[in-house]
Amino acid sequence: MIETERLTKKFGDNLAVDSLSLKVAEGEFFCFLGPNGAGKTTTIKMLTGLLHPTAGRAILGGYDIQKDPVAAKRIVGYIPDAPFLYEKLTGREFMRFVAGLYQLSGDGVVERTETLLDLFGIDDVGDQLIEDYSHGMRQKLSFAACFLHDPRIVIVDEPWVGLDPKNIRFVKDFLRARTREGLTVFMSTHTLSIAEEVADQIGIIHNGRLLHVGTVPEIRAMAKSPGTLEDVFLEMTKEEGE
Amino acid sequence: MNPALLILGAKLRMAWHEIASVRKQSKLKVAVITVFAGGIWLAAYGCFHEGFEWLIRFGGEAQSDPLKVGYIIMARMLAVLGLAVFFMLVFSNVLVAFSTLYRSREVPFLLQAPISFRAFFIARFWECVGFSSWALAYLGSPLILAYGRSSGASPVFYIAAVAFFLPFIIVPACVGCMITMILARAFPQQRVRVMIGLGVVAVGLLFLYIRDVLDATRLSQDVALAAVMDATSRTQTPFLPSYWATRGILAAAERNFRECAFQFLLLLSNALMCVWLTAEMAQRIFYRGFSFLAGQDRTRFKRLDQGVLGRADSLLCWLPNPARALVVKDIKLFWRDPTQWSQFVIFFGILAVYVANLHGVGNSRYTSDMWRSWIACLNIGSCTLVLATLTSRFVFPLVSLEGRRFWILGLAPFTFRRLVWQKFWLSVCTTSLFTVGLAALSGRMLHIPALHFWLSIYSVVVANFGLAGLAVGLGTLYPNFQEDNPARIVSGMGGTLNFLLSVGYVVLIVGAQTVILQWHVLERFTTPQAFWRTLGIAVLSITLVSLVTSLLPLYLGLRNLSDMEF
Repeated sequence: MIETERLTKKFGDNLAVDSLSLKVAEGEFFCFLGPNGAGKTTTIKMLTGLLHPTAGRAILGGYDIQKDPVAAKRIVGYIPDAPFLYEKLTGREFMRFVAGLYQLSGDGVVERTETLLDLFGIDDVGDQLIEDYSHGMRQKLSFAACFLHDPRIVIVDEPWVGLDPKNIRFVKDFLRARTREGLTVFMSTHTLSIAEEVADQIGIIHNGRLLHVGTVPEIRAMAKSPGTLEDVFLEMTKEEGE
Repeated sequence: MNPALLILGAKLRMAWHEIASVRKQSKLKVAVITVFAGGIWLAAYGCFHEGFEWLIRFGGEAQSDPLKVGYIIMARMLAVLGLAVFFMLVFSNVLVAFSTLYRSREVPFLLQAPISFRAFFIARFWECVGFSSWALAYLGSPLILAYGRSSGASPVFYIAAVAFFLPFIIVPACVGCMITMILARAFPQQRVRVMIGLGVVAVGLLFLYIRDVLDATRLSQDVALAAVMDATSRTQTPFLPSYWATRGILAAAERNFRECAFQFLLLLSNALMCVWLTAEMAQRIFYRGFSFLAGQDRTRFKRLDQGVLGRADSLLCWLPNPARALVVKDIKLFWRDPTQWSQFVIFFGILAVYVANLHGVGNSRYTSDMWRSWIACLNIGSCTLVLATLTSRFVFPLVSLEGRRFWILGLAPFTFRRLVWQKFWLSVCTTSLFTVGLAALSGRMLHIPALHFWLSIYSVVVANFGLAGLAVGLGTLYPNFQEDNPARIVSGMGGTLNFLLSVGYVVLIVGAQTVILQWHVLERFTTPQAFWRTLGIAVLSITLVSLVTSLLPLYLGLRNLSDMEF
């Protein structure tokens, strides 16, 4: 469902992502791990078409995001780590706006909006301006808006910022349940315990290079001595001299 | 180190980095802006100089006349201008102080630091002064220079003008900051309707006052000079800083250094007193106002399908998506942002003064064809300049205002071409509504000939397309996605370039038809056919220029947006 071929991004002389090639199958929950500045967000932005790759390509659901962006974007949903939204719109107005962008119409949209607002627990503040929302409420609204057009692929960049434990559990369970229905999730996170819990596959990126891809047991098995995913991650991403 | 100085030092370093970043900007853009900014400065100087020279000639044998009527009018006009600038600066500082002292993102960071509110205020105050007064320095300098050259002032006059500038801008900045702090302290406790009512009354009184002065100074009256002096005397009072500044500068021009020094010290001592007083006020009431604003119940419900804005989606149901979604969003964001609609309302208040003043001009004794033609051409110029101001202020920032939310549009399944065209058509439809109406109304009120009337309507319609394309295109070519304040987006390099090019475009299209119409009135065309042929070519050329002005920036902007990374 997601395929990258030698995806590369350079900012001047700085190589942010170096020939990244990976495949994520339909219905798979893929967790993308890496230390700060490893190239996770750059990869995500190339997958969503917000950045142009210097070389290589990204295919989403069979569509090249650079050559056929409109078709690719129809099946993709994205949740950024810092959800900047339109402050002067209400939550419901924002949902209606997103529906318009995706050219969704009819009574089904209203019904689906209400269902999603209710599901993410923000139906009671749906008529309030977004500028009055807390960070967690904005994050939940981003989730609700992302699922409005029923995407086949969801790309999530560190979604846990601002969410309380109850909501983290809810989002985790929700995404897991949706993958069982065929949704493909590509999630970047620093929270290794959650990745260990939900991921079908894990990719570890460091200094722009994809070090390893595998299931949690496979990644764990790469450690010199038995340990948690955190131990393996720290060992793999250790800088020289540390 | 003094915390206020420390903050100011950091601000100066930031300003320096900003200036240094010009080296990384497009060389062409920097060159065009520099040339146009220099050109506008020179043009302003030329206009002021010609105006002053005309006034001197208007006064008769100026050099030998002990009364020097022209000089008296010049001095009085300078004083009236000083007063107007003073009140404009107060108003501008009220707006700037609110965003600088209460709404800026730096405020929470600075307030959690172990510094007094006095030091916090002093540091932020200079930012208010800079933001609200830089335009005065830019447009005031050619005026002062022209006055000095026309009146043969001594070199001390120029030194005095520079010396008076800083204390003069400090006083309205202090008054503006005081008003803002008092409003911020009182506003959360007052009903919004009461505050809006008071604002409307204040603007209404100002409107009546301006109209009164304009009526009294109309030069078509028989007792023009007496009327001017009488009307403008109402604006003179020795209790206002503008009076001290103009008196002091004019005294320097007349080599009356004793008077100049007295007025300077009077202004300086009052400016310093004002800074001290405002800083003390900040120490006492700023935090209460800030915490009132931060702590008030901000829960505001806007239900769908209630009110005009709520029904915007249904009212525009004939528009296909995603254009409708984008239009509705833009309209709602505009009307819910007080910094946007308040400036829009002020803008139309000024227009109302213009239209109210036209009535007298239309009914006056301008019976000669030449003057009627001039008035008609000037009216086309006014209408198109109004349009240029509208597009520069409200249309140019449209793409930039998507800002850090661009990921939403970037992820949506449509091309940027549709986004850019949506902004273009939104601009054309809204500005046409106002400016074509203004052209028709002013044309009727001025009783201008039919040819001029329809030519003005045509010019405004065509300019709507030209200026909308220019503003949207340049707004897309030079967007500022880091800034949420439209006023600051407009004051950036891209916004300045757009304004200068808009003015250039207006001068070109209005100038072309003015020359032809004036030649026609002066019977320079040998045959009527020659006139109509030339006019036809001019109209065609204006259309072509407008097409290029519209499409070229749109094409370049779109190409830039497609290459852009978010």
